[in-house]
Amino acid sequence: MVNRKSRITRRRFIGTAAAASVVFGVPTLLRAQAKPIKVGLVHPITGFLAYSGGQSRMGAMMAIDEINAAGGIKSMGGAKLEALLGDNQAKPEVGVSVVEQMQEAGVSAYIGCFSSAVALPATQAAAKYNTPFVIDVGASDNIVNRGLKNVFRLKPGFNACVDDAILGLGEINKSVGNPAKSAVLVHEESEFGTGTAKLLAAKLPSIGVEVKEVMKHANPTRDFANLALRIRGLKPDLLVMSNYQNEYVLLARTLHQQKVDLVGMFSVLGGGFNYKFVKELPDVAQNMIDTNHWFDPTNPRAQAMKKRVEAKGDLFTFEVYLSYNAVKFLAEGMTRAGSADKEKVNAALASSTWSDHFMPYGPTSMVNGQNTGGKAAMLQASKTDIDVIWPAKFASAKPVFPKPKFT
Amino acid sequence: MNWKIPAALLAAALAYPFIFRSNFAINFGVLVLFYALIGQAWNIAGGYAGQLSFGHAVFFGTGAYCSTILQLKLGWNPWPGLAAAAGAGALVGALIAALSFRFGLRGSYFALITLAFAEVFRILTNAVEFTGGGLGLLIPLKRGAANFQFAERIGFYYAILALAALSIGIAIWLKRSRFGAQLAAIRENEDAARALGIDTYREKVKVMALSGALCALGGSFYAQYYLYIDPTVVFGLDKSAEMLLVAMIGGTGTVYGPLIGSLLLTLVGEVTRANTEAQGLSLIIYGSLLILIIGFLPNGLVELFKLRWRRKARA
Repeated sequence: MVNRKSRITRRRFIGTAAAASVVFGVPTLLRAQAKPIKVGLVHPITGFLAYSGGQSRMGAMMAIDEINAAGGIKSMGGAKLEALLGDNQAKPEVGVSVVEQMQEAGVSAYIGCFSSAVALPATQAAAKYNTPFVIDVGASDNIVNRGLKNVFRLKPGFNACVDDAILGLGEINKSVGNPAKSAVLVHEESEFGTGTAKLLAAKLPSIGVEVKEVMKHANPTRDFANLALRIRGLKPDLLVMSNYQNEYVLLARTLHQQKVDLVGMFSVLGGGFNYKFVKELPDVAQNMIDTNHWFDPTNPRAQAMKKRVEAKGDLFTFEVYLSYNAVKFLAEGMTRAGSADKEKVNAALASSTWSDHFMPYGPTSMVNGQNTGGKAAMLQASKTDIDVIWPAKFASAKPVFPKPKFT
Repeated sequence: MNWKIPAALLAAALAYPFIFRSNFAINFGVLVLFYALIGQAWNIAGGYAGQLSFGHAVFFGTGAYCSTILQLKLGWNPWPGLAAAAGAGALVGALIAALSFRFGLRGSYFALITLAFAEVFRILTNAVEFTGGGLGLLIPLKRGAANFQFAERIGFYYAILALAALSIGIAIWLKRSRFGAQLAAIRENEDAARALGIDTYREKVKVMALSGALCALGGSFYAQYYLYIDPTVVFGLDKSAEMLLVAMIGGTGTVYGPLIGSLLLTLVGEVTRANTEAQGLSLIIYGSLLILIIGFLPNGLVELFKLRWRRKARA
């Protein structure tokens, strides 16, 4: 006789099967949800570079949100990117602490650091773990020249930007009969300004521009009246500036107020050359030329992103799209690596030929961690906008050169 | 002298990397000891001798630049470079002191002149080619203890522990020595000290040289730890304020004040930064805590321990 309780009835079978499916099925579902990949954002959110750091963070977060909304890293089972937010306070020792702290939290890659002084020790700290570090902003070529296998930079460094600036300026000057024959260089005192000015002073004579004087100023400097008088006295054709946001704007405004006539006002990586400057001081900004990191204005994705950023009331500054593209570059490398394994991701980034960006670059081509396909664009401000004037392939307007005189 | 406290502290510091093994924890330990060292350097001049300085970064930067330039330009090994940095720091300390005290600068005037010297050094290193100017100096990566570039952070931890222990040892000696007593007399009433026969000028120059040497050791260590220095980073106001702050918060003129101040400030800095993502919130919390400490414990955190000891003694 079969015990009634041990008989398998239809009802009991369905119940047991349902319970089993719950017991065995849930972990399967959980397993299907891939582990998030932690990406450390190491930017200066407080301190004197806070605005730029905040812009970088915004750009990086937009890319992370976009990647996650599109289903995460496909080759890793749709793993989502999880941002670990760090504030390096523009201090080297804090940058290193943030790197170590994120390492403890299981970070798979870093994006940062805006300041070269922070990027140098921070990348070193990350190199101990071989964790990939993508430099979004940070101009010093020393960051990628030290043989660290985990460090990559999508954008061009000092040397490349200056080479592009010289090439572009030489072409534009030549096209209108070489009106610019002399220049005065004004730069801020830190690594960025000094390095850029040093390179420019060495290379300007190669395009027939004599350097009359190189002037350095401290950070911060709030009165440029004497410096402007000295520039007026030297009567250069070109004024070439390399400084951060506030000093850039103040110097330009002082020269405008003193009506110093120049063939052109030119800068390389001009800290203040952005939409804010054009919007707030259109008369001062008009016809100023800068060689800088810029998006490809002919790319509809770039224009769409610009609209999205501006719709939020923010400015579409270079930090935003450089950090955005740095995250996308990292994600593409991870997709090809098919794993967050540091060795594999580093190898994938080193062999990257990524071209799905909206920068005026070709496909990426890394040499010692530096993208040799990166290129700076030459820009000119109108009263209402900023146009790309060089290289011609990406140009949205023709250059206004020489600059019209005040009277 | 009760040797139990320094012995226990040293034992705890020696054991720390074996208890907290992560690189984050060891880096934290390095920072605590580093700030304790430079805070103690400030404390020896500002706390023990009462010679308040707003520009101790001048010694810190001198040390950092001295060992780095010797290494990069003359091929020196950084270990003897560390000793040379201490010598340079002592020399700059003695020079600034000799110049300032010769002309009778005291109190806030002396504090301001040190600030001016730090700024002059910052501007000079920015302008001169052999210091790398604004580009700063980058020490090439050559991992190895022989190059003062330990492969693991624990090596740096013990190096800074030795330097911090040296600074505390000097502070203990000052408490017990004739030189220390003379400094205390100068701090309390310089004219009375002179009337007692103390050569106040000579003693003040000596203490500034000592303080400068210790601070320069911190600068040299900093250069080796981060392998990059520039004028703003090592001669900037930030550094002067940091060393002044750890000594003030911990307790000036005390042996363990800078160590306690450094431990608290580094801990608060790291914890608030690690646990807040809102822009600037960590600094707001940090600043609020500083106000509370200064408001309720004007003599520094050491006061808390003293109160406890007094209560114990009464009981």
